[in-house]
Amino acid sequence: MTIKKILILNGSSRKKGTSFSFSRTIKTLCEDTGNSAEIIHVIDYFKGKEELHQLKELMLQSDIIAMVAPLYSDTLSYYDIWFLERLVSEYSHELRGKDFFAIGQCGFPDITRNEPLLNTCRFFAEEVGMRWLGGLSYGGGAMINGAFLEDLGKKGEKIILGFKFALEDVLQGHQISSKSQELITVEIPKILQWPLVAFLNYHTRKKARENGNIDYKRRAYLE
Amino acid sequence: MSIVILDGMERENNTSSMFERVLKENLEKTFYFKLRDMNIAPCSCCESCSYTTPGKCVVNDDAHEILKTIAKSDTVILLSPIRFGGYSSCLKKIVDKFMLLILPSYRLKKGYLLHPARYGKKILIGIGVAEDVLKEQEENFEKLVEHNAHNLQYPYKTHILRSSEEIEKAEDEVNSILKVVHEG
Repeated sequence: MTIKKILILNGSSRKKGTSFSFSRTIKTLCEDTGNSAEIIHVIDYFKGKEELHQLKELMLQSDIIAMVAPLYSDTLSYYDIWFLERLVSEYSHELRGKDFFAIGQCGFPDITRNEPLLNTCRFFAEEVGMRWLGGLSYGGGAMINGAFLEDLGKKGEKIILGFKFALEDVLQGHQISSKSQELITVEIPKILQWPLVAFLNYHTRKKARENGNIDYKRRAYLE
Repeated sequence: MSIVILDGMERENNTSSMFERVLKENLEKTFYFKLRDMNIAPCSCCESCSYTTPGKCVVNDDAHEILKTIAKSDTVILLSPIRFGGYSSCLKKIVDKFMLLILPSYRLKKGYLLHPARYGKKILIGIGVAEDVLKEQEENFEKLVEHNAHNLQYPYKTHILRSSEEIEKAEDEVNSILKVVHEG
């Protein structure tokens, strides 16, 4: 089989957050199969720490491009959309014909929240003539908070396995199968929803106390 | 009755000009923000607005003026070209700061985990300007507005304006939007 290269776009402003943790696992799994992968941080290009024109070579060298991003106000963040807009206007030619897939992760457990993000990635791919290989949606990214998946016990093992199957698909140029999504989906039973809210609110109040008993309900813009 | 328009169009265009004119003619308290001319820093998800300066961003930019106006208004209109089935980056730079309009605590509503609204209920209207985009992209734009409204717990409406349509037809759309605003 031909050796392939995946260019992974970490779409988070946090270089060590959950999107990076996912990107890191994808990179490792890819290298384990004898292929190669490189992670770049979108925020570095937005802030001008990296030059956009250097991307040209990276994109030409890659067979597959992946966006791994957190959900910001229900879709990709401002700088991720800025980045995709730049790619369309400057690098459509370099991207044409390559494969593209995405992983969206949101704080809340409900994975349907990531649908607009994944659709946006698909529409971007279609606009530049890339082949859309599918998206994975993870709910509960805030609970992982950047931890490495291999340190998360059974939960981490299932996510790694889900990513492994997804990679097997994309490296063969196939659409990501539903098996991967099933493995990474965390179902919270209805009976546990109220205790979860109570637990999260306990933490909110605790954090407020730790910050000098601050009034987190303050209506600052009406003062 | 007051209304905030967040205009995420990237350059001068007939739709924005017509919008501004019709809304200002019909509503005294119309606050029109042309985002392309404003300095708005990206949200870095630093959480300072939750626990350090609650409800206020620590970055000094033009977002404060917009958020102050939204806090006092009844209706927020999002105007954007449909970009990859969603908002332009020009609009998204302020939408990312809508986190300031909700609290860091949690509630459960009809089985959904949500953050309570910081400034009560407002109407959210999303207007997508479609230029050579597929129906699927229009539907995703509508879904995105729906998700924003769901998280903010605001009632919402969406409208798709086709840039090829005559400006009179677009004006009718704006008048129907005004009707929604007046009816609350």
